[in-house]
Amino acid sequence: MLETGLILRALARNKIGALLIALQIALTLAIMVNAIFMILERQQQMQRASGLDEANSFYLTNTIFAQDYNIISHLQTDLHTIRNTPGVIDAVQINAVPLSGSGWSMALQHQPGEDKDAIGAAIYLVDEHGINSLGLTLIAGTNFSQADVEIRQDGQSTWPSKTIITQAFAESLYPDDWQAAIGNTVYISQHQPMQIIGVVKALQAPWNGWNGVERSMLVPFHRASKGSYYYIRTEPGQRDRLMPIIEKALAESDKERIIRRVTTVEETRARSYQQHNASNKILITVVITLTLITGFGIVGLAIFSINRRVKQIGTRRALGATKGQIMRYFMLENFLISSIGVTLGCIGAIALNIWLVNTFNFAPIGVELIAFGVIALFIVGQLAVLYPARKAALIPPASATRTV
Amino acid sequence: MFNYYLRLAWISILRHWGLSLLMVSAIGLGIGAAITTVTVNYLMSSNPIPEQSEQLFYVQLDSWDVNDPFDDGLNPPDQLTYTDATNLMRAKQAFRQSVQAQAFAVIEPTDPDMLPLIVNARANTADFFTMFNVPFLYGNPWSQASDDNKEHVVVLSKASNEKLFGGENSVGQSIKLAGNMYRVVGVIDNWQPKPRFYDITTGAFNDTEDIFVPFHLIADEKISRSGNTNCWKPTGDGFQAFLASECIWTQFWVQLNSAQEKAEYMQFLNAYVQEQQQLGRFQRPIDNRLSNVMQWLASQEVVADDAQMMMAMSFMFLMVCLLNTVGLLLAKFLGKAPEIGLRQALGASKRTLFYQYIIESACIGIIGGILGLILAYFGLQGIELLYGDAMKDLATLDSKMAGLAVVLALFSSILAGLYPTWRACHIQPAQQLKSQ
Amino acid sequence: MLEMNNINKIFQTADIQTHALRDFCLHVNEGEFVSVTGPSGSGKTTFLNIAGLLETYSSGEFLLDGKDVGKLNDNGRSRLRNEKIGFIFQGFNLIPDLNLYDNVDVPLRYRGFNSKERKRRIEENLERVGLATRMKHLPSQLSGGQQQRVAIARALATSPRFLLADEPTGNLDSEMAQGVMALLEEINQQGTTIIMVTHDAQLAARAKRTIQVKDGQVNEQQSAPILNKQAIA
Repeated sequence: MLETGLILRALARNKIGALLIALQIALTLAIMVNAIFMILERQQQMQRASGLDEANSFYLTNTIFAQDYNIISHLQTDLHTIRNTPGVIDAVQINAVPLSGSGWSMALQHQPGEDKDAIGAAIYLVDEHGINSLGLTLIAGTNFSQADVEIRQDGQSTWPSKTIITQAFAESLYPDDWQAAIGNTVYISQHQPMQIIGVVKALQAPWNGWNGVERSMLVPFHRASKGSYYYIRTEPGQRDRLMPIIEKALAESDKERIIRRVTTVEETRARSYQQHNASNKILITVVITLTLITGFGIVGLAIFSINRRVKQIGTRRALGATKGQIMRYFMLENFLISSIGVTLGCIGAIALNIWLVNTFNFAPIGVELIAFGVIALFIVGQLAVLYPARKAALIPPASATRTV
Repeated sequence: MFNYYLRLAWISILRHWGLSLLMVSAIGLGIGAAITTVTVNYLMSSNPIPEQSEQLFYVQLDSWDVNDPFDDGLNPPDQLTYTDATNLMRAKQAFRQSVQAQAFAVIEPTDPDMLPLIVNARANTADFFTMFNVPFLYGNPWSQASDDNKEHVVVLSKASNEKLFGGENSVGQSIKLAGNMYRVVGVIDNWQPKPRFYDITTGAFNDTEDIFVPFHLIADEKISRSGNTNCWKPTGDGFQAFLASECIWTQFWVQLNSAQEKAEYMQFLNAYVQEQQQLGRFQRPIDNRLSNVMQWLASQEVVADDAQMMMAMSFMFLMVCLLNTVGLLLAKFLGKAPEIGLRQALGASKRTLFYQYIIESACIGIIGGILGLILAYFGLQGIELLYGDAMKDLATLDSKMAGLAVVLALFSSILAGLYPTWRACHIQPAQQLKSQ
Repeated sequence: MLEMNNINKIFQTADIQTHALRDFCLHVNEGEFVSVTGPSGSGKTTFLNIAGLLETYSSGEFLLDGKDVGKLNDNGRSRLRNEKIGFIFQGFNLIPDLNLYDNVDVPLRYRGFNSKERKRRIEENLERVGLATRMKHLPSQLSGGQQQRVAIARALATSPRFLLADEPTGNLDSEMAQGVMALLEEINQQGTTIIMVTHDAQLAARAKRTIQVKDGQVNEQQSAPILNKQAIA
């Protein structure tokens, strides 16, 4: 028993009221779909693997302030101390920490020369313990050997002759077959040849917002620099216990430097994605509040319109309508209004998305998401009208004979 | 009569409290969201140095790679090479000029029991302090002569002075940096421009530095550089080669007091670049820029995309809330048709009815506005909590925003009330009375 | 046809019990035109509501067309209302947002007739009350008398055995009231049983049988002969 025609004609007599709800639904859909899209995009970014053994790693800064200090011999001692601490899997001196927001980048090119195209990547300066310390997976080629590791002075412009790169970087350099990278010579700093000896599965750059975040390279260097990081990987469950121990051991072994910022990689990830998380929380709140406002708006308007139509509903009951039919009437009415709303809303969602794409380099939205929003709002509308409709169904038929 | 309407509005709001609650919440949430995001945007885009922003200019020169433009050719490089910065400094063609870069240092304790202190430093020249109106608690900026004579002087922030000297007037005292002693010439009072316009290359909303040291220390390798470095051409070995390289890592500001001064300085820059071209540098077309503070902040888009996006969304959110309110007010006022008919029969004119209902709408708006203000306060607290340091000092309500909240609430509720009120005023009295 | 035996209706509020009907007994036969009068508060409306299955009763027995109404659930009562009873209200109770055609359509929709059948019935009944030409008008565009005619058309559309009229002329001036009354009499003569509640003694007198409700009980008057004469004449 479809009353669609009747309801539509009744709605047509009360255009503004229906239109107001429909517009609300439309705007809600437009905002909701785009907000959820943003949330999912960020979620996806946050879920990208850094390549590190995040749960069991931490790092600290080593800042030397003394003059006439033998950096390299102290570095050897420090690494020896850390690597031989029970519970530590491995440790390495490194110039930057993935996800931390600050680091170095260099570009590699196939041909030497100033005018040749080069592809940028994050560069990490490590020794042969780099892969093990960071917890990376070598998927092709070999690791550096101890003999490969050179000493780098600050301001030095030459680079070692070997490098290990990430699979993503290999894919950018050799789009046809990333495995072709192994053994190939590329050029760093425009002219210096470098051989790719290995490929690791993943290692993110320090900048999470960079579109090349998956492109990284390792080069075998010990830095004779007054500021560097020690990156330490521990056995599972040992990290928190070892952090103060290693900090203390290093600080006490040598008073001519400062050990600071003892930080877990998990903290770094949290800080790195703090804005992502914050924005997502805000957007989730917006979506929920918006849905609630629209829902309650529908409830409020429906209750009001039912209160005004008590006699009419009583009359319908007197004329033989069952409770179910009365309920169905209001549910169907809401469904029709929602249909107009979501139709406008789809247009609105796409328009808003186009604006976001043009203004903020946003990605275009998927159809599934719009479909999801449409269904969600139909459900919200039906749920919202459930209570008022039930109230309407409970109006006694005798209301028809009551005066006023 | 106004009081009478107020009383009627109040009775009506209380009588339909559920509906009123819904409307007040809707307006409150809408206003709250809007004010929260507007505040963040407003603070992000505020003028950090209003008294001087028109006279201060950031200098950009296009020294980049002829084969691969900087920023896809949209903007010239955002910093200068050391070579250009020192050349411009030496030329002294502006009313005032200052070169600067970010640095860090370890303050070594003179007392062996104390721990060394890692501090953020800014390496700059003397005019920095006068150009940017830096307030001094004790002492003064160092002089031009100090720069010229490469003196070891330092200006401390209030916080560092508290850490190092317990907040006493430390002018004349010394601190030790990398084995050298530096004389304190001044202590800065609270100074936290937002955005930190003088250097936005490492984040536009960072805190000001702990200590300020002369720029010449960097070239002499007495202090370590930090901050962003961008190179397009390989550098040679060693620090001197780096200084002479095409890497950009310095910021250069000039103060120019008139349009004429600006035009002359631009001419000077163009001449400088042409001269450098003779030497084989600057192979790209000349693209020199002089941007005043607000132009510079705008060109570097310091207002985060996120903040703008959120603001747009919050206004759409407010619109949903308003539509909601229009619907509810319409339902409410039309529900009062019998009363309106009766009032008309008793002599109410359309105008008086209009006042009555618009005042009722405004009342709901004001209550909603106050609620919105409270929500905005908590919203901003939440933002600060969620975003942490990135939003520090960017999430505080001031009287301007509070005023805006109330005005926005009042304006939007009256707007929302217009149509329902208009409909209410056009109810036919006869029909209403007949059906009684 | 309609048989009420010892019907009681008690309204219970927190501290007061009100007997709206007290051992109410009434038998109405097929084809009768019964008018029910009584002062306000006498229980007229309660009787009408119970007779029309709009309300339930507290105790007693009520058979409608031989069916024990007390045994029906809400949906069953709705169906019985729809099938057997036509209502005419004092305030017409037309749905203001719907035009005449759609208003008459309402009970037919609930019955579930197909569209062809509905169309036939709507047109036939609007024709019967003389408003076939104004099908697309809205109730507000009609006079009170015309609106009541639409309500009658709506009541008749489902071909009910019973017509319950609650002060059908209460909101009408006397000329219109006469017209509506004449229409009801005509309908009665075509075989529909009518029970009409009114406080207008003159109108009540036009019914074949008049009963008076007082303090929730029936007090039957013998006025039938006069009416019979009129009917014959």
